[in-house]
Amino acid sequence: MNSRRRWTTALLLSLALAASACSGGNEGGQGTGDDGGGSGDGKGGKVTLSSWTLFSGGDGDNMQAMIDAFNSEHPDIKVENTVLEWGEYYTKLITAVGNGNGPDIGISHTSRLPDLINQGVVSSMDDAAEAAGIDWSTFNPNILGATVVDGKHYAVPIDTHPFVMYYNKKLLKEAGLLGEDGKPVFDNTADGFVQLLTALKEKLPKNAMPLALPSANDDVFRLWWALYHQLGGNDVISDDLKSAALDSGKAVQAMQYVQDLFHKHKVIRLNDPDFVKSFQSGTAAIIMTGVWTTGVWESTKGLEFGAMPIPKIFDKEATWGDSHTVILPVTKKEDPEKRKAAAIFADYLAQKGALWAKAGHIPAKPAIFDSAEFKALPYRSDYVSVASTVAFNKPSEKNWQIRDLAMFKFLNEVWANKMSPADAAVKIQAEIDKVLKQ
Amino acid sequence: MAIGPGAKAELAPAGAKRKRRWAGAQAFVFLAPFFAVYVLFTIWPMLKGVQISFFKWTLIRKMEYVGLGNFSKLMQDAEFWASVWHSTIFVLLTTPLMLALSLGLALIANRHSRLRKLYRISFFMPSVMSVAVASFLGLFIFQPYTGLLNSLLHLVRLLPAEQEIFWLSEVSLSWIAITALTLWWTVGFNFVLYLSALQEMPEELYEAARLDGATNGQIFRRITLPLLAPITRMIMMLQIIASFKVFLQIYIMTGGGPLDKTRPVIQYIWQTGFRQNDLGYASAMSYVLFFILLALSALQYGFNRRKEAD
Repeated sequence: MNSRRRWTTALLLSLALAASACSGGNEGGQGTGDDGGGSGDGKGGKVTLSSWTLFSGGDGDNMQAMIDAFNSEHPDIKVENTVLEWGEYYTKLITAVGNGNGPDIGISHTSRLPDLINQGVVSSMDDAAEAAGIDWSTFNPNILGATVVDGKHYAVPIDTHPFVMYYNKKLLKEAGLLGEDGKPVFDNTADGFVQLLTALKEKLPKNAMPLALPSANDDVFRLWWALYHQLGGNDVISDDLKSAALDSGKAVQAMQYVQDLFHKHKVIRLNDPDFVKSFQSGTAAIIMTGVWTTGVWESTKGLEFGAMPIPKIFDKEATWGDSHTVILPVTKKEDPEKRKAAAIFADYLAQKGALWAKAGHIPAKPAIFDSAEFKALPYRSDYVSVASTVAFNKPSEKNWQIRDLAMFKFLNEVWANKMSPADAAVKIQAEIDKVLKQ
Repeated sequence: MAIGPGAKAELAPAGAKRKRRWAGAQAFVFLAPFFAVYVLFTIWPMLKGVQISFFKWTLIRKMEYVGLGNFSKLMQDAEFWASVWHSTIFVLLTTPLMLALSLGLALIANRHSRLRKLYRISFFMPSVMSVAVASFLGLFIFQPYTGLLNSLLHLVRLLPAEQEIFWLSEVSLSWIAITALTLWWTVGFNFVLYLSALQEMPEELYEAARLDGATNGQIFRRITLPLLAPITRMIMMLQIIASFKVFLQIYIMTGGGPLDKTRPVIQYIWQTGFRQNDLGYASAMSYVLFFILLALSALQYGFNRRKEAD
């Protein structure tokens, strides 16, 4: 009797367990089914689109606001937003689309687009753009051009987020290096910029550094990329994307300049664990980083700052930059109605550039620069000119791998003063070829 | 129901059998949910991995059959062997230190002292943290300018105010930082194993030794250590296998740098599979690592059995 009762309890328990497991599975199944399949089958011909984005913080709030505005202005379309964690976004997008469970709308960086095309995650959206009536001439040609591969449009760029320069007005004023116009006073040359930094070093209090930059990876690589292109370099791979094409002389000159900032002029704090915080807390006079930090500085109490393009240190204006673009991932059942609706949504986001610019991004449509809404935002207008001088990557599916495996690895050694620029150039060239061959 | 005593005696063997089957069925019902999950998320991916390792396989698509291509590529891949070596360095650094540290802490916590509870709690506490939390604490301790360790060194004037030690940017210093963090974070589990072994020790052996006039050192060397040998062997084996799988704390603290010189093999496998979208090659590497670990465990197992037979 006793054992029988126990047995019954066990059976019930495991049934309950199994049941809950099943229902969990079912819910998941239905969810993905909705995302992938369900075409415009809602009441009254309403098209429901699933959208995956990777934005968090201020970007995330602005994106949600734009989606809400879109939904209320378009009664026949409903966009449902799912925010994914940025670190795993691309892996999730690629695997989900591969399984046929991808969203109708996704976000891609311009530099990552060729990889997504190559993996069959994104297809050309010329058809949808035409149906939606997108006028490509309303986009900045430099930003748009980077999203066109083999003459076909694969994405709608909504911004560019380039590498720019910010300065602490209070510190520059203290050092007597802030002009009447509120901009730093210096010669726009290689020596001129170094002079500005060394003068700052002399005149600033001991705990303040002239320039905030990390000693490894992204932002210092971006400075190198900007200088390399100012010297006339053109990406690090050949036009056919098949082999390394680092312009060695220019690469070395740009590396030397940055290495000297660290080790000869000593105007950057070596191995600064948090360079953004250094600028935020007023222990660095100048910082170079992406425009997405504009919003961060604005919300920092007591920080008086200015924004401007990276100085023209060498022959011509150029900087590093990337763009956020809206893509239409490949779905199991290609539904022209959905694709059209998605293209309308994408163009709407680009059109809402003034709202998107709140975080600091430069809108992809130049007409927005003149809108009252955009002009009401301070700082942005000081660097919008950069939109046309961003040196985008060539459309190689290996862009990110080249950056992570070849560029960061050896450039970091140069910044640590453990490798000469000439040696690094040789090693980078070989490593890029290796990555391209894999 | 009326079953006579005779009938009961007759039925007994059959009843026992049925009872055993009954128990087996019950056990199965309890095991089934776990077993289903285990098959789905462990056994099946393992088998799938064998298949994938013979193909060129991106994150989402099977491309083409390459036979042993991934394996022969691996044999000549200096980066793979370098990363295997880095994991080995980590094993060689942490295993002996871990054994010594956990035993030392267990001895401290086993002493009759008023602080006994405090010792036990504080030695075990770090291991309840997740790897990410522990690693970020590691960053906070070892980073220059604002890190705890350098600030401390500045405070006691061991380090001149103008100077910084870059714990996370120099290869040898990075190993020290990673090892220290790992020991602090994971010692708790092994500490508990040693502590429970110490509490099982027969008290009369110690009494007898003391009566014979043995010193504390002699007692430790001749009685405690030999009696701890089985648990030591077990901890060593678990430790070696666990340490070969090191990844996240290194990834967070040094990113595998500088120049990939602290990159462990798991990081290389992960990068290959999920950053370079080459699941085929990543699977092949995983299997080679698996066989290396298997060989090591077999060796140790054989060694232990011989030891126990002695």
